[in-house]
Amino acid sequence: MKLTRRNFIAAVVGGIAGIQATPLPWKITDDVAIWTQNWPWVPVPPTGEFTEVSSVCNLCPGGCGIAVKKVDERAVKIEGRTDYPVNPGGICPVGMGGLQLLYDESLRFTGPMKRAGLRGAGEFTEISWGEAFDILAGRISNLRKKGTPEAIAAVDGNPEGTTVSVLIKRLMKAMGSPNYVRPLSITDTYRMGNLLMQGTLAPMAYDLENSDYVLSFGCGLLEGWGAPGRVMNAWGMWHDGNPAKRKTRIVQVESRASNTASKADMWVAPKPGTDGALALGLAHVIIKSGQYDSRFVADHSSGFDDWRSLEGTNHIGFKTLVLEKYSPEQVAKITGVNPKTIVSLAKGFANAKAPVAIYGKGKDSLNGSLYEFMAVQSLNALKGSINRSGGVLLPDPIPLSNLPPLEVDAIASEGLKRPRLDQAGTMRYPFTDSLINNFTDAINRNPKSPVDTLLVFSANPFFTLPDGGGFKNALEKVPFIVSFSPYRDETANMADLILPDCTYLEKIDDIVWPTGLQYPLYGLSKPVVEPLYNTRNTGDVVIELSRAIGESVGSGFPWENFEEALQARAKGLFDAGGGLVSYDPDAPAWQRQKAGNGPKPGYKSFDEMWEGIQSGGMWYRPVSSPKSWQGLFNTPSGKFEFCSKLIAQAIEHYSNKISKKAALKNMGLAAIDDEACMAHYQAPKAGADRSVYPLLMLPYEMINLASGWIPSPPFLYKTIFENQLLKDKSFAAINPKTAAKYHLEEGELVVVKSPAGEVEVRINLFEGAMPGIVYLPLGFGHTAYDEFLKGKGVNPNNIVQAGQDPISGYPVWWNTPVKLVKV
Amino acid sequence: MKDPVNSSKKTSDKGGDRPLSGFFPRWMNINILAQDVGFFILGLIGASIVGWVIFPAVLYSKHPQPINFNHALHLDSEKVDGIEGETKAEKCLFCHAFRDDGTFVGIPKLESCTECHDDPESPLGETPEEKAFMTKYVANEEEIPWLVYSKQPDCVYFSHIAHVKMGNIDCATCHGDFADNEKLPLYVKNRLTGYSMNIWGKRISGFYWNKKFSDRMKMDDCARCHTEKGQEQNNACFVCHK
Repeated sequence: MKLTRRNFIAAVVGGIAGIQATPLPWKITDDVAIWTQNWPWVPVPPTGEFTEVSSVCNLCPGGCGIAVKKVDERAVKIEGRTDYPVNPGGICPVGMGGLQLLYDESLRFTGPMKRAGLRGAGEFTEISWGEAFDILAGRISNLRKKGTPEAIAAVDGNPEGTTVSVLIKRLMKAMGSPNYVRPLSITDTYRMGNLLMQGTLAPMAYDLENSDYVLSFGCGLLEGWGAPGRVMNAWGMWHDGNPAKRKTRIVQVESRASNTASKADMWVAPKPGTDGALALGLAHVIIKSGQYDSRFVADHSSGFDDWRSLEGTNHIGFKTLVLEKYSPEQVAKITGVNPKTIVSLAKGFANAKAPVAIYGKGKDSLNGSLYEFMAVQSLNALKGSINRSGGVLLPDPIPLSNLPPLEVDAIASEGLKRPRLDQAGTMRYPFTDSLINNFTDAINRNPKSPVDTLLVFSANPFFTLPDGGGFKNALEKVPFIVSFSPYRDETANMADLILPDCTYLEKIDDIVWPTGLQYPLYGLSKPVVEPLYNTRNTGDVVIELSRAIGESVGSGFPWENFEEALQARAKGLFDAGGGLVSYDPDAPAWQRQKAGNGPKPGYKSFDEMWEGIQSGGMWYRPVSSPKSWQGLFNTPSGKFEFCSKLIAQAIEHYSNKISKKAALKNMGLAAIDDEACMAHYQAPKAGADRSVYPLLMLPYEMINLASGWIPSPPFLYKTIFENQLLKDKSFAAINPKTAAKYHLEEGELVVVKSPAGEVEVRINLFEGAMPGIVYLPLGFGHTAYDEFLKGKGVNPNNIVQAGQDPISGYPVWWNTPVKLVKV
Repeated sequence: MKDPVNSSKKTSDKGGDRPLSGFFPRWMNINILAQDVGFFILGLIGASIVGWVIFPAVLYSKHPQPINFNHALHLDSEKVDGIEGETKAEKCLFCHAFRDDGTFVGIPKLESCTECHDDPESPLGETPEEKAFMTKYVANEEEIPWLVYSKQPDCVYFSHIAHVKMGNIDCATCHGDFADNEKLPLYVKNRLTGYSMNIWGKRISGFYWNKKFSDRMKMDDCARCHTEKGQEQNNACFVCHK
C-alpha cells in the first residue's frame, strides 16, 4: 500500500479527528491561558506575612506620615498615614513611588566606591568601608596638617535643623572649615524675612486650615508646596464640592495657569517677579480705604506711619511709601494686572475674617525674593493676620537640645577665621547664612579651585541649582569630590569617592518641622526594611569619619552612633514637656486652639517618650491659643516692623566701611534710605540685550515629578502627559499669541537660547501661559541614572541666567531672557 | 504521474467488466474507501498516542522536594512531642497555621522548624533527611525552597480561613490526606505553566467517576463544591478573581 496524497489526507483527517478525543487540545488551551498569566516579566507580588510599618517620608521637607505595607521582608506599597498629624491619609505621587528608590538597583550605589572612569561617566569600583574611610580621612588630615582646612567644603542638602545636618555642620567646624553651604529653598527666604520683620527664629507657620481667604502668591499648593499631604487635605476642606458650602476662598497669584491656579476661585496673573508689587498694590487699596487692622498696626507694628528720629531726621513709613508709589494704576503698569482686579482683590482680602497671604515659588525647593516676601507679609500685618487663628502663627522654635559646645583644636580655629567663599554673613549679605551661587562663582572665578575636597550630602546641585550649569563647571575644577548620596545622581557621577547613604526607607532619621506647618513637629523615620546593600546611614558615617580623622576632631562626637545623637537632641523635647507622641485623627492638631483641652502626653520618662517617638514617628505640640503679645516680636523695636531696623543698621554699618552708594550697589539695592528697609518693588536687571532675547524663561514644577535632589521614581513617567514629554523631548509651554508671533506650531522643535546656554524642546501651545514667557518643566533632563530617567527631556536649570536678589543675594532664577530659534 | 485510481481514462476502459460502474461515482470504489478508512484510523491511532501518551510525558517533568519531610513521623505523638491538636486537622493547623490577622501561613517558614530543630549540631532524630536539613538549611539559616503542590495562579484569591474556619472544611478534603504520608510525593510540574499536576489532577483526561475534591483544584472544582454546599453566590467571578 502506497502513501498517496489521498491517503495522506485521510491520515491527517483521522489525526485531527483523533486528537479531539484526546486531552491535548483542551489541556493546551487551558495551559496556554495560565501561561499568559505567568510571563516572567509580569510582576507577581510575593506571598508571605502581611505587615505594616509606620514611618515618616523623608523625600522632601514636608515629612508626611507613611504606612509601608510589607509581605514578609519585602516592602510592597506606600500609603499615607491617617494617624499622623501632618497628612491625614494623603501622600504625593513621589512618595507613593518611593519603593522604586529602594528597590531599583540601577538608581543606587550598592556600597562604597571609588571612581574608575572619567568624571561623569558613572564608572566606579567597589571598595570596603575601611578603605573609603582611610582615603577620605587621610586626605582631610593632610589638608589639616598643611594648615588649609578651609579647602574642605561641604554642600549639605539635608533640611536645616535636622540632626544629620547639625552633625555635618559640626564636623566642618571641628575640621576647621567655614565653607559649609546649602542649596537654597523657600524656607531660607522665610527665615530671613521673619527675622527682619518679626525677629522670630521659628519656621514659617501658616494656619491654612483655619483660614477663610487664602491669597497665595505663587505657592504651588497643588504642586507640592509644603507637606503635600497636608496642603491637599486643607484644600479639600476649603473647597467643598458644593459652592454654597465653601468656607474659604482661594486666590492664586501666578503667571501660569498651574493646577493650583486652575482650581482656585480666582487666578491673577502678574508678570513673573512682580508679585511683590501686586501685594503692595493691594496694601495701597486697603490702606486708602481704611480697611486695615488699625489696632494691630498701632499696637504691634512699627514703621507704618512717618516718623522722626531722635536726631531729627524725617523718615517715611510704609503707609506713605505705598500710597505714593503703589496705586492700582502704577501697579498695573508694573504687573500687567488690571487696576480693577487689584481693587477687587484687595477688597476680597480686606473683607475676609481670617485671611492669610502666603508666599512661595512653586514647590518649596527653590528660594524666593526677600522683598517680595516682605510685601506679602506686610499684607498679613495690615490685616492683623499675624498671631491670629487662620493667619500666620508665631510658635516657639522646636525645643531640641543643643549639642554640647564643640572645642576645636588649633588648626581648626585658624581655619575657621578664614573668610567663607560664599561671603554669606559678610556686610554685603548680612542676613544670609549660606549662598551656594556665590560659592560656585568663587570656584569658577579662580584659576585654581579654592576647594580641594568637596563633600556632598543629600544634594544633587549639578542638577537642581538654577545656575546655568555653573555648579557643574565648578565640579570639574575641584580636585577631589566625595558624595554621600545613596543615588547615582549627576553630582555623584562626578565624585571620586562614594560613601553611600541608606535610602529613607532603610534608616533612622529626623524631620524637623515640615515646611509651612503651623505647629512644631519633630518626625522620626525608621528603617522599614534592613539595608539592602552595603550602605550606611550618613549620620553614623559622619561620626565614624570624625574619629578616623583624629582624636581632636573625633572628641567632638562622643556618641556611639547616630541614634544616640538623635536622642541627645530629643532630650530637649522631653524637658520642654507637653509634646504628644501619638495622634488621634478625630482631633486634628490644627483644631486644638478651639477645643482648648487636648490630649495629654502619656509618657513619664525620656525613655518612654523616645519609645513613643520611635513607634509613632512623631513629637508635636498642637496649635494653642494665640500667644501673648508680650515679647512676641524680637525685633529692635519689639514690634512687627514694616520698616526693618536691622536692614537700616546693616546698610549704615556697611556705609561706614565704604561709601553709601557703593554699599547699596553691592547689596544690590536700587532704593535708598527708608524704602530700602521696607517691602518695595525693584525691577530686576535685564541681564541681556532684550532685543536679542525678547522672551523670558520660567521653570515650573509638577506634583508628579521630584524636582529636588531625589530622582523621580521611574513609575512617575507614566503619569506625564504627551504635551509635557514625548519620547525624549520635553515641551515648552507658550501662549498661542507668542507662537503666532514667531510662527510656531504645536509640537514644533525649537531651541530655547539664553545667554547661559540652550536647550532643544517641542512647543506646546497653552492658553494658560502668559504671552512672552516660555515655561519649561523642572525634573526632566537627567544625564545620570537609568534608561527611564536619562536623556528624557531637558533641564531648564542649565539655561537659567540668574541675577542676585537684593540684600539676600539669592539667585533670581525667574528672570532668564531667552529667544526661540526654529530647528 | 497519473493516479491509477482517479484516472478517468483507466476506469472507463474497465467499465465493461463491472455493471453499475458508470452509475457510482468513482471515489466509491470499495478498495479506495477501505484505504481511506485505513489511513483515517491510522491517523486516529497516531493522534491518540500523541494526545494520551506522548503529550502528557512531554508536558510534565518530575522534581523531588528539596528534602523529604515525613508528615507521619511528625504527627505521631509517640515519637514526636510538641505538635499539638486533638484532631488531624488541628494538628495540621499547628504548623500550617493562621496568623493573628487571619491570613494563612501555608508552608511554614524555617523559623517554625527551628523552634524544635534549633541546634544544627544535634539532630533530634536519626534520619539522613534530618541531617541534610540541619546542615543545609538550619546551619545556613536558609529557607527551604519547597515546591507547593496546591499553588494557584496569582489571579486567584483563596482565603483559607473562610473555608477552614467558616466552612468547616477539613484540610484533607482539598489537599488529600497527608497526615500518614511518610514520603513527600514527587512534584510533577507542568512545563508550560509551572504549576503542579495536582491542580489539573493526576488524570490527564480530567474525568473521574467519583471525583473527590482532593483529585483536582481547577475552578470548576471550586464551583462544584460551592454549589453542593449551597453557596452558589460564591461562584461569582469577583469572589475569587479580584
